[in-house]
Amino acid sequence: MLDINNVRKDFPFLRSGRIYLDSTATSLTPEPVLRKVLEYYHEYRANVGRGIYNAAQAATFAYENARAEVAKLINAKPNEVIFVRNATEAINLIANGLKFQEGEKIVTTILEHHSNYIVWLRLKNAKKVGLSIVKSDKEGLLSPSDFISHIDRRTRLVAVTQTSNVLGVRPPVKDIVKLAHEEGSFVLVDGAQSVPHAKVDVKELDCDFLAFSGHKMCGPTGVGALYIKEDLQELVEPLCIGGGSIEDVGIEYYRLRSGPGKYEAGTPPIAEAIGMGAAAVYLMNVGMGNIEEHERKLTKRMLQGLANINGIVVYGPRDAEKRAGIVSFNLKGMNPHDVAVALDTASGVMVRSGHHCALPLHKHVLNAPNGTVRASVYLYNNNEDVDVFLETLEEISKTLA
Amino acid sequence: MYSWRPLRRSLKLLHEVLDMRTLYDYYKLFPHTDCGYCGNTSCLTMLRRYCLGNSDLNSCIYFKSGERQTPKISYSPPPLRLPPAENISYIRPCPSEPTKVTIEVNVLPKIHSPYGYFDMITADKIFDHQISNLKISPSLGIARIESEAGDVMIFSEGKVIIRRGADERRAFWEIGKAIRLLWATVNRKIRAESAQ
Ligand SMILES: Cc1ncc(COP(=O)(O)O)c(C=O)c1O
Ligand code: SF4
Repeated sequence: MLDINNVRKDFPFLRSGRIYLDSTATSLTPEPVLRKVLEYYHEYRANVGRGIYNAAQAATFAYENARAEVAKLINAKPNEVIFVRNATEAINLIANGLKFQEGEKIVTTILEHHSNYIVWLRLKNAKKVGLSIVKSDKEGLLSPSDFISHIDRRTRLVAVTQTSNVLGVRPPVKDIVKLAHEEGSFVLVDGAQSVPHAKVDVKELDCDFLAFSGHKMCGPTGVGALYIKEDLQELVEPLCIGGGSIEDVGIEYYRLRSGPGKYEAGTPPIAEAIGMGAAAVYLMNVGMGNIEEHERKLTKRMLQGLANINGIVVYGPRDAEKRAGIVSFNLKGMNPHDVAVALDTASGVMVRSGHHCALPLHKHVLNAPNGTVRASVYLYNNNEDVDVFLETLEEISKTLA
Repeated sequence: MYSWRPLRRSLKLLHEVLDMRTLYDYYKLFPHTDCGYCGNTSCLTMLRRYCLGNSDLNSCIYFKSGERQTPKISYSPPPLRLPPAENISYIRPCPSEPTKVTIEVNVLPKIHSPYGYFDMITADKIFDHQISNLKISPSLGIARIESEAGDVMIFSEGKVIIRRGADERRAFWEIGKAIRLLWATVNRKIRAESAQ
């Protein structure tokens, strides 16, 4: 069980009494993570992988230790984890690093965030790579069989999200990986919304690449991670090269090193990566299973409450078991932005409104061209947060809609 | 740094407040000529300033001369939630709609005081579903006007938001139109009530 009162004490942002229900966009940062970031600046502020003096070694140690902690979170080896800016950069790295050829094919889904969608459209347009979009049902649910007709011998990559940032639904990634591997395709999992909220095990999933962001998992902004299976690192070319990514350089040649360093050209976001490591430790201490269970309870409460408010349309499955702690909805007769402003002004409840960077999904599956309101929960939200949100929403529905 | 008062607490307060007399009840007792004799631009300004302790009812020529009975005023305003932000801001809340601007203006800058804000409880009493595209929530402290050109939301602390506003001029035109509509309704209502 998660001790909600103790967890809440760790998050300074909550002290003002505001109610934060937008962890899908970005999460709050707890004191232990902030302290770890500050420790770097206070005590061993030096560059990493360069320098013989003590502080440089301490910084390198902390940076590599962070990599090991992030790796542990997803059950990877440390040298399979590459620090990048965010999930978006991780996905772009794969899109460019796999050096797609004309005639090859990429499979993705209609659920995707733009960061895991327009990159593939760009490849399609620039390199004549085939692109096949798997459609979901009205609730956003996908089954392994939906992928069968899309994945074939030409398919080089299947790029799929593990948790939709709009509907909270979780495509059957493990089965998709199996199908893709049978056809000789790689699988890139967009873990931006799954890694922060549930136990993700890359060995069990057997995916080839996994992208996620530090800022959505209680870490600092400006850092994310890309998992690349060890034996595929030879194949994937880096996005940038330069200082730090070489083994040898002569006047007319260079040789890139192997391992994560190959992809981390230039001075990396050191403090941020150290913070992301501390965030991984923080989440593991609370327990990913506990976080998942806590969010499920809150989601159930939220879905039940929403069902009792007049004029509310909830998108995605009604069953809390079928979704992560992300609920998108609309209030009939009111624009989603107006609902969000009213919630914020009246009760300090922060929710996201709009298309949540998933226009194809809003246009073609949800039939909500004006967007939706999205409330999402994380380990630091409690029942009262959900209740104040529901009460305010009910009042909005009664008086303003 | 200010703190948020969750709705639950303010709703309770509100129920005490809803029973009280509103500014409108007192405004009804004024002459409504907006003659300016008292040095204020309107009777409403005079009333607000009186509530703030900044003016004397006897400076009104009608009250002074006894032509109208001087009202006894004891008015306490409903609770205020947030201090207003200043200036105009242009917000694009969703990157997928770059052309749609939401304009936020604080129409009560600097004069923030116990009375210097929109009193939605009073407004609710006055308008009482008379304007079909105007919705008022006294409990939330929000009024909403739907219009084809862009929706307007007015918040008790003085914030006004115009959504889908194409540009600044259009937005202000919308606000102006909304305010004229509201004011006309107030005056019509007062005339109707005094005719009874
Ligand atoms: C499913 C999903 N993928 C990718 C991203 C992009 O993450 P970032 O903006 O950190 O690169 C997000 C962020 O909202 C997301 O929800
Ligand atoms: S003098 Fe009296 S009637 Fe004239 S504006 Fe002032 S309050 Fe109104």
